[in-house]
Amino acid sequence: MDARAGYTFLLPWLLGFIALTVGPMISSLYLSFTNYNLFEPPKWIGLDNYITLFQDERFLQSVGVTVGYVVFGTPLKLAAALAVAMLLNSKRRGQGFYRSAFYAPSLIGASVSIAIVWKAMFGDSGPVDQGLSFFGINLGGWVGNPTMTMPMFILLTVWQFGAPMVIFLAGLKQIPNELYEAASMDGAGPVRKFFNITWPMLSPVIFFNLLMETIHAFQIFASAFIISNGEGGPAGSTLFYTLYLYLRGFSDFRMGYASAMAWLLVIVVGIITLIFFKTSKSWVHYSGDSK
Amino acid sequence: MINRRHFLTTVAVGTASAGVLAACGTGSSTSGQTGSADNPVTINYTWWGNDDRAERTRKAIALFESKNPDIKVNGNFTDFAGYWQKRATEAAGGGLPDVMQWDLSYLRDYGQRNQLLDLGTVKINTDAFEKSLLPSGQIKGKTYGIPTSTNAFAVYYDPAKLASLGIAEPDGSWTYKEFNTFLTEVGSKSNGALFGGTDYTGVWWMFNVWLRQNNIEAFTSEGKLGFSKDDLKKWWNLTADLRGTPAIVSEERVTQLAPKSPFGSNVTATEVTWDNFMAGYLGDSGAKELKLVPVPSDDADNLGLFLKPSMLMVASAKTKFKDAAARFIDFMVNDPEVGQIFKTSRGVPASKTQRDGTTFEGTDKVVVDYETSISQYLKDAPEPPIVGFGTLETSFKRIASDLNYGKLDINGATDAWFKEAEDLIKQNA
Repeated sequence: MDARAGYTFLLPWLLGFIALTVGPMISSLYLSFTNYNLFEPPKWIGLDNYITLFQDERFLQSVGVTVGYVVFGTPLKLAAALAVAMLLNSKRRGQGFYRSAFYAPSLIGASVSIAIVWKAMFGDSGPVDQGLSFFGINLGGWVGNPTMTMPMFILLTVWQFGAPMVIFLAGLKQIPNELYEAASMDGAGPVRKFFNITWPMLSPVIFFNLLMETIHAFQIFASAFIISNGEGGPAGSTLFYTLYLYLRGFSDFRMGYASAMAWLLVIVVGIITLIFFKTSKSWVHYSGDSK
Repeated sequence: MINRRHFLTTVAVGTASAGVLAACGTGSSTSGQTGSADNPVTINYTWWGNDDRAERTRKAIALFESKNPDIKVNGNFTDFAGYWQKRATEAAGGGLPDVMQWDLSYLRDYGQRNQLLDLGTVKINTDAFEKSLLPSGQIKGKTYGIPTSTNAFAVYYDPAKLASLGIAEPDGSWTYKEFNTFLTEVGSKSNGALFGGTDYTGVWWMFNVWLRQNNIEAFTSEGKLGFSKDDLKKWWNLTADLRGTPAIVSEERVTQLAPKSPFGSNVTATEVTWDNFMAGYLGDSGAKELKLVPVPSDDADNLGLFLKPSMLMVASAKTKFKDAAARFIDFMVNDPEVGQIFKTSRGVPASKTQRDGTTFEGTDKVVVDYETSISQYLKDAPEPPIVGFGTLETSFKRIASDLNYGKLDINGATDAWFKEAEDLIKQNA
């Protein structure tokens, strides 16, 4: 009886979940084994899409670009988030203001308008180019330079460190002050305190942030789409995975191929998550372990 | 929070589908639903273009509505790149707008796949059209698109900029070597302040013109490539000595300036492209006047030029308002007052009725005069290119850009493009 009531109340969500999430996922799994151009019924072609993927230079390029972004962007963003969280984790006047100020970019950072601002800032004779030129560094605009686009995107993601920062802050507040006091009594310096108290005590939060930000980074789309005019240029340097997936599906009308890409991404992110969980045992300490 | 959002979406979807079901239940005659002045039907019309074209289109729509009180037109526009992505999703969902502005590059993709209405089944007057132009809107004997207007390839230049550098204005009778020398001269005389032009070998349609100059067809009637890798290598080699010099604007600049063109941004002295971009270039660059001359050719008798429908009007195969759609298309392509509104912003009006009813002055006259001046060189308009041509056109530009960035050499670029083209042709076979 209770179960039935429970499901009844769950029904609206359950219907949406099935109709809008599970259903489309299953159909995209099916489509990934077909040749589907959006207009004509899909034609079953087995594993062809998955095989073609690995012979597609543009696909391999998009993997390279995305992996580079995840590997460099995520740790830098988390380092910035942790550093600022530690600075803000003290009782000083105006901390509320600083927290809000640092958090704000992560609310608007993924938006179209910020991507446009970013493009203008890093363009020819934009503020970044002018600022660097003032110090004698003449790089020109970053937007048109294939070697500078990746640093530009990494700066954009690092700038949005606010969300993990807030979570780090909450984690830092949970660490009992007595631990630090005891360490001080024993003569531990700030570096020692960080590695022997903060890091292990915070490790579940670090793990959570690392996992979420990694998954999130794989899905970068909007900013890449806007900054490169939806083309992934210059010279393919911003051809992120999801952007290529989108181009394949909606510009080239190869929805089967795009579906295969989507499923490959799901599988790879799943495997990475699994690896994170497996390795986490060696460095993540939950408070329940020692209690 | 998630529960509520999903719940609301579910309700919204439910309500919307009920509406769709209800809509399916009404009216079905051969000409589709018709309206009356008291109870007008509403058709959706979509087009690509900038604000200038939007303003003109709104005026044309208002005029149409005042003459046809039984039809309301609901207009909507985006830029060119986003336009096709939107159409693709709509087509997949079976919800293409009733009437659409269309491009030759995508006519086969949608026409051959039964997304577009056979306009031979409705009443549209094409008496005032050149007979050689209409086949561009036809596939296998069925008419899917009516050309609104024509455009032709040309070299644009800004006479004021050339005068300030002390360079004589070209007359347009030049070989590729002479054209290259001209670009180099601009670059060297301006000390890099002004580039000669954009790398013209990156433009598919210019390549197509060159192929025609050499009597090679771009696509065979079976939908295969009509040219060889060597042809493409020869083409990309034409500007090999100019890349990286002030004759050609660097690809870094081109990317930075996008979506504006280098020519419209006053970075280059010339641009090789369609003659109906005149209004846009004038607006972007703020130049007082721009002039047009023919493209270079190594065969003075064969310029490879042709009039292409700069855009077509098409209707959705699923429209419920065939009659209204046909009347709107007829109005947009034939009405002289519509010509007065658009001038040459869509290209030179294709229908003689509309062309004769339009007064062309200033830069509009430059475009019309250009198309008249090359009329002796014009050959048949191309048939609608192969399915997936839009993709090939984009990848041509992208790979030529990689070439300019030095990411690929000419052999690598040729192989890359052929691989994509062959893959695409196989895919759509």
